[in-house]
Amino acid sequence: MKRIKIFPVFICIMFLLCGCDLKGGKNYQGTMEIPENGIVDVSIFKQIKDDSAVVTFKGNSNGCDYEWVIFGDDIPEPKTLNLAVEINEKQEERSSGLSFSSEDNFGFAPVLSVHLNSNWDCQNATVYDSSNKAVCGASVTGSENSIINFSVDNSVGEFIVRADNESENAPIIAETPTETKASPVSTETKNTKTDPYLTPVEPETPNAVSGGGNRVISDGSATEQDKYKTDPVPEGRPMPVEPEDTQIDSSKTYTCTFSIECSTILNNLADLNPEKIDVLPADGIILPACEVEFYEGESVYDVLQRICKENNIHMEASWTPIYNSAYVEGINNLYEFDCGSLSGWMYRVNGWYPNYGCSRYQLTDGETVEWRYTCDLGNDVGGGYAVSGT
Amino acid sequence: MMYRDTFSSFHPTVNFLFFGLVFAFSMFIMHPVMLAISLTAALLYSVYLDGKGTLMFCLKFLLPMTLAAAIINPAFSHEGMTILRYLPSGNPLTLESVIYGISAAVMLGAVTLWFRCYTAVMTSDKFVYLFGKFIPSLSLILSMTLRFVPKFISQLEAVRDAQFCIGRDVSNGSIFRRIKNAVTIVSIMITWSLENAVETAESMKSRGYGLKGRTAFSIYRFDSRDKTALTWLIFCGVFLICGILAKGLKWRYFPSIKGTLTEPFTICFFIVYLFLCMTPIIIDRREDKIWRSLRSKI
Repeated sequence: MKRIKIFPVFICIMFLLCGCDLKGGKNYQGTMEIPENGIVDVSIFKQIKDDSAVVTFKGNSNGCDYEWVIFGDDIPEPKTLNLAVEINEKQEERSSGLSFSSEDNFGFAPVLSVHLNSNWDCQNATVYDSSNKAVCGASVTGSENSIINFSVDNSVGEFIVRADNESENAPIIAETPTETKASPVSTETKNTKTDPYLTPVEPETPNAVSGGGNRVISDGSATEQDKYKTDPVPEGRPMPVEPEDTQIDSSKTYTCTFSIECSTILNNLADLNPEKIDVLPADGIILPACEVEFYEGESVYDVLQRICKENNIHMEASWTPIYNSAYVEGINNLYEFDCGSLSGWMYRVNGWYPNYGCSRYQLTDGETVEWRYTCDLGNDVGGGYAVSGT
Repeated sequence: MMYRDTFSSFHPTVNFLFFGLVFAFSMFIMHPVMLAISLTAALLYSVYLDGKGTLMFCLKFLLPMTLAAAIINPAFSHEGMTILRYLPSGNPLTLESVIYGISAAVMLGAVTLWFRCYTAVMTSDKFVYLFGKFIPSLSLILSMTLRFVPKFISQLEAVRDAQFCIGRDVSNGSIFRRIKNAVTIVSIMITWSLENAVETAESMKSRGYGLKGRTAFSIYRFDSRDKTALTWLIFCGVFLICGILAKGLKWRYFPSIKGTLTEPFTICFFIVYLFLCMTPIIIDRREDKIWRSLRSKI
């Protein structure tokens, strides 16, 4: 009978303690609308910072939706900010572009995602300031209408975003790398890392390259799948090289450009597994574009594995005999299916998503390898064809 | 009638509710402290019930099984932020997957031990008493199935001994001969078990089992002691479910280990869970003490 008297006491304690605030890590707290005048009060930012919350601020300007993805942990000092951005979408003669301007210096660099009403036929774009200097790169994603993601350190003033045209005669691209190195912008931002979107796209020079031990360039004549279920490789693209046929010659070293990014997740935060927000980089860049060395005969997978080990980036892959290749399940703890059922990792070499596994792509000197996270079976990163086979 | 284990003498509802709660919480809460509490209590109660048998079972079966589970997990799961080293396959060995493996192994061990206690406490007559009215055929099948394994083993021994006496054992003769003998024994066992099942079913049917209006003899009385225990169990259950819903027992292993540990809210749940799991042991110890003091007075 004595115990029964203890129950009410216990229940009282329970209700008292239910008021306890349980602290978690970063958590996605959904979308907030930016008010008409754009002013978001300091109290909101303070709250976001205290909760380590991740919040998307949504606004609209001239028919373009835009979003700021703000990580509470990145806010150095909460203050009242004007998040409104003026966006003008325009079609130029050869490339697409948009200009935007905002008024406040945030003191940190959140990612701005602009949802366009048109489709830019490119993968990368570059942000220029009013004096036409390249400030940073931008990733272009989205399946029907393009979404441009970029983060500008100091967003005061007017900026122009232009698509990096991937054809050989794109005039902007040739200048970009040299100009950024010399420009005062890059020193000002104290950003030592190179931007992955600023990588120059190498013009196709199929047969003259060195480094690819025994790889052959497809002439587009094949009409049937090979024995590892790979559809015919389009003309001008390298044929798969079986890893068991390859000899790695460590006496010959070459370089390639390597980058890993997952900016599509920033546009699909609602689908992201909430536990994974802790490993999501605020700018979506896991490994900024960098020059890496590789030995003759090495595949994209070999290089990825080594780079991840060297940079202490987590990576898990499993060997898939049916495709005779390793399958990359997750990089940086961001796994397939972590951001919706159509999500996973894809790789792109020289602007093309190979339709075969990364262990079968033998690298040659000077190639550009990009690992990108897709949330829509490749369609949002411009690689739907590699998955569907059409 | 004297029980060595006083908790077994409680009403079957109390016994069943206790095991139901303990199984559910052990299986669904992956919080390491909760698992440790569950394992400790299960081990203590199992030792109380079974003595040396439990220790032998732990050493021979449970320890290797849990160790295997703890080792196998990091070999196949490579998720986690803390990379310890790289496996020969090129995938990382992470601290998180090692700890998750250990936690899963502890859970496996705790649930196995609780099931050992369950079979000792919840005899089939208690089970049939509880569920005979609502789900007669299912409860009969369940109690028959649960009873089947020990019964089958003892019958197998009897049959083997009988066959051994007439020189038709599996340890005798050529390989061909041995296989033939083994097949005979298996055939005998299958025939016996089918016959046994049919006999039990017929016998229950002829007694009118499951018919409307039929009462069952039971020696179980729901007295004030059971009432107190039942209230206590319901309170613990509701309290802990509230805790889970309020995320007071939140714990995650991937991609980094994080969870509630030192909040007063959470510690409160640990204490309640500890008392819940220790309920039978506390009851038994108290009863033993009373029994000893009564005996010493004589």
